[in-house]
Amino acid sequence: MEARTNAMDPEKRELTRRSFLKMVAGSGLLLGLSGLLGGCMEDKSPAYVGGKGWLPYQYDLPGHLPAQVRGRVPIDPDNPSLSRDDQKCVLCGQCLEVCQSVQSVYGYYGLPVIDETICIHCGQCSLFCPTGAIRERDHTQEVLAALADESKFVVVQTAPATRVSLGEEFGLPPGAWVEGQQVAALRKLGFDAVLDTNFAADLTVMEEATELIKRIKGEAKRPLPQFTSCSPGWVKFCEYFYPELLPHLSSCKSPQQMLGALVKTYYAGRRGVDPGNIVSVSVMPCTAKKFEARRPEMNASAKYWQRQDLRDVDVVLTTRELARILKEKQIDLAALPEEQYDQLMGEKTGGAVIFGATGGVMEAAVRTAYFFITGEDPPASFLNLTPVRGLAGVKEAAVEMPGVGTLRVAVCHGMANGRKVLEAVRRKETPWHFVEFMACPGGCIGGGGQPRTAVPPTDALRAQRIAALYRADASLGKRSSYENAELAALYQGFLKHPMSELAEELLHTRYYSRADKLRPLSLAG
Amino acid sequence: MGRSQAVLVDITKCVGCESCVVACRLYNDLKPGPRAGGEAKPDGPAELAPDRWTVVQSFRVEKDGSRVRRFVKRQCFHCLDPACASACFAKALQKTPEGPVVYNEKLCVGCRYCMIACPFEVLRYEWDKPFPRVLKCQMCLARIANDQMPACVSACPTGALTFGDRDKIIAEARQRQYSRPDLYVSQIYGLTEAGGTSWLYLSDVPFERLGFPTGVPERPLPEYTWAVLRWTPHLFVGWGALLAVMYLYNRRRAVAHSEEEMYAPVDAEE
Ligand code: SF4
Ligand code: SF4
Ligand code: SF4
Ligand code: SF4
Repeated sequence: MEARTNAMDPEKRELTRRSFLKMVAGSGLLLGLSGLLGGCMEDKSPAYVGGKGWLPYQYDLPGHLPAQVRGRVPIDPDNPSLSRDDQKCVLCGQCLEVCQSVQSVYGYYGLPVIDETICIHCGQCSLFCPTGAIRERDHTQEVLAALADESKFVVVQTAPATRVSLGEEFGLPPGAWVEGQQVAALRKLGFDAVLDTNFAADLTVMEEATELIKRIKGEAKRPLPQFTSCSPGWVKFCEYFYPELLPHLSSCKSPQQMLGALVKTYYAGRRGVDPGNIVSVSVMPCTAKKFEARRPEMNASAKYWQRQDLRDVDVVLTTRELARILKEKQIDLAALPEEQYDQLMGEKTGGAVIFGATGGVMEAAVRTAYFFITGEDPPASFLNLTPVRGLAGVKEAAVEMPGVGTLRVAVCHGMANGRKVLEAVRRKETPWHFVEFMACPGGCIGGGGQPRTAVPPTDALRAQRIAALYRADASLGKRSSYENAELAALYQGFLKHPMSELAEELLHTRYYSRADKLRPLSLAG
Repeated sequence: MGRSQAVLVDITKCVGCESCVVACRLYNDLKPGPRAGGEAKPDGPAELAPDRWTVVQSFRVEKDGSRVRRFVKRQCFHCLDPACASACFAKALQKTPEGPVVYNEKLCVGCRYCMIACPFEVLRYEWDKPFPRVLKCQMCLARIANDQMPACVSACPTGALTFGDRDKIIAEARQRQYSRPDLYVSQIYGLTEAGGTSWLYLSDVPFERLGFPTGVPERPLPEYTWAVLRWTPHLFVGWGALLAVMYLYNRRRAVAHSEEEMYAPVDAEE
C-alpha cells in the first residue's frame, strides 16, 4: 500500500489543516500570487487530467447500450485459495465467463450479497485469466521454511493428477507420466517422507463403496443416490446451492484429508514420530484443497491425540507451486531418475490412479463394490467402464450387480453440468444409485492448480492428461482398490474394517449448509 | 447547457469485484503500487488517493438483526453546484455542462482551498510531488462527450452502476424504490445533498452506517461559500479584497506568459 499518502493520515491531515492558514498566508500565498501575477494559464478549455490510458474495446460502446462481456469475478483478499494482482488485470472478463458459464457460481445468487463473497475456490478463473492476474494463494514459503527447519518431520503426499501434468511445466508434452521423477524431485527438496495420495484414494474407494452398499441395503438410513465427496469445490457448491441434498453426499473425506488424518495418527505411530513435529504437505492439482485443508473440522488427528494444535494437512501446494519451487531450486524434473514412493502409505492400484479423471472415482468404486457384493474379482466390463469415461458433461452407465440388480450411476464435471443433475435429483426424477461430481471440467486433471499449458485449457489438453491416467491404470497389475496390500495392512493393524468406529472418526466427516450465505436463484430464473 | 449526465450507484447490486477501480486505473493511466493480495480489504477506510480516484470500501453492518456486508464505491460526487469550483479562484475546477466537475492542472495554483471546501473530502493532493496537483475522479469527461459511459460504469458486471440523464437516473432510482419498498431505504443520497450531485446512491442500509457524510447541507454549498469565507478574513482584509485579486488574476490570466512551465503537469514518472 505504498500509494497511501499523507493525505490519508489523519494526524498529518490535522496538522495540515491547522498549519493551513500559516502556509497560505506565507509561502503558499506567495506561490499562489506569483502564479497569479504570472498569469500563466491561457488554457481555459476543460483540458484536464485523465483519459490518457486505454480500455479493452468492449467497453467503448455508446452510453445507452448494455455491454456484454465485462468485469471480473470478485475475489476477496482473504480467499484461502486465490489471490489477484490488480496491476495485471485487463478486465478481459474471462474469469467471470468461466465462473458463470462453466461453474454456474457467479450470477447464481441473488443480490445484495449477505456477508461473504460467494466462491467455491475451484480456481478455474486462474486457468482462464490470460494475464496471470489470478493465481493460487502462494504457500511455497511455508513449505520451504518447514523444509529448512531441522526439527520438523516434513511429509508430502501427491495427488493422482499431478503426475500427468507436472512435466508440462518442464517442457514435456501434456500427459507425460512423471510419477517417478516427481518422487525423486520431492526427495531432492528434502521431504522426510514422500507418500502417495493414491493410497488414500484406494482407501476412499473402500469406505465409499461400503457406504454405497449400506445405502442400497437400507442400513445407512441415508438417501440414494449417493454423491461423491472428494472434490472440495463441489462440496462447497452443494453446501451453498443445494443444502437440502447434503444427506446424499457421502460422508467420506477426500483422499487428501484421509491421508492427512492418517499421517498424524497411523503413520506417526508406526514411524515413532511425534505428530506435533510433523508438517503435513500435499501437492494437489486443485486450489479448493487449500480451502478444504482449512475447514475447521479437518483436525481428526487433534481429536485422536486430544491435542488442540494439530491440523491434518498443514500446507497445500498446487502443481504450479511445486513447479515454481523446483525451478527456483534449479531442479530439472525431466532429467531426474525415477524413484518409488515411501512404503506404508505409498502403494496404489489402477482404481486410485484414475481418480484424477472425470468418471474415475465412479469406475473405481464400482470395481470394489462388485467385489464386496459378490466376493469375486470384477469382470472385464467393470475394469473398462467406458460409458463413464470421456469428456461428455453428464455420463450415465448401468451395470449388472449379481444379487443387487442393476446399479445405475451418473458422472458429471463442471458445476454447470452438476446443476443439471442436481435439479433432476431435487425433482426426484433420477434412477441413479451413485453420482460422481467433479467441480473442474475433466476432473482433477483440469483442476484450478494445474499448469497453464493452454490458456484457457482445451478439451484436447484434458484428453491427453486423461489418456495418460487410463494407460497407467491398464498397465498396473492391481486395478481394484481392495487389492492394495498396504491398505489391507492398515485395516488389519489399525482401522479394523471399513466404516469402523475409528474409520468414522478419522476418515468421515459432516457437511454444513451454507444457505444462509446467499440467496439462491433457481435454474429457471 | 447540454444534458447533465449522472450515475446511479445501487449499493445492493455491488459484489465488490473492483472492476470499476481497475477500469478507472486503466483509462486514466493511474499507476498504483502492487496490491500484494495478502492483506485483507479493510472495512471502511480504503481511501482515495492521488492515484486512486475511486475505491470500493467494504462495510460489515447490522441489518435486521443480522450481519451483512456492503460494498460502497466512492469517488467525487460531481456536485451540481460544486463547492470546490466556487472555492477555486483559479478556475482550475469547473462544472461542465455534461455533468462532470473537472480539474485543469494547468490552471491550478496549488492553494488547496478546494480541498477544504469539498463537503465529501474527495480531493487528494500530491504531497510527494515537487509540483503537486489536486486529483480526483473526472467522470471520464472525454468519454461522456463522446457518448460513452464513464470507464467504471462500462466495466461494472452487475449493473450496480447506471449512467444516463440525471432526470432519468432519478426516475430510475425512484422506480427501484417503488418496486422494492422492502429492500431500499427511502433516501436517495445525492438528490439534495450539497444541492444535488451527479452521482446518486441507492442503498438497503442507512447511509450513515456506510460512512456517508451526514449533515451535508442541502443548500448548494457555494451559497455559503463557507469554507472560503472561513479563511478569507485571515488571508485578505475581506471578501472585497478577494474579489479584487480575482479580478486582477482573471485579467492577467489572459496574457500568455513564459512561466507556464512552472505549473505544467508533472509527469507520471517518479
Ligand atoms: S475459484 Fe471458481 S467459484 Fe471462485 S471465482 Fe474462481 S471460478 Fe468462480
Ligand atoms: S481473467 Fe484475469 S485479466 Fe481477465 S478480467 Fe479476470 S482477472 Fe482480469
Ligand atoms: S464532491 Fe467535492 S470535489 Fe467533487 S464536485 Fe463536489 S465539492 Fe467538488
Ligand atoms: S464494478 Fe460494479 S460490482 Fe464491481 S465493485 Fe465496482 S460497482 Fe461494485
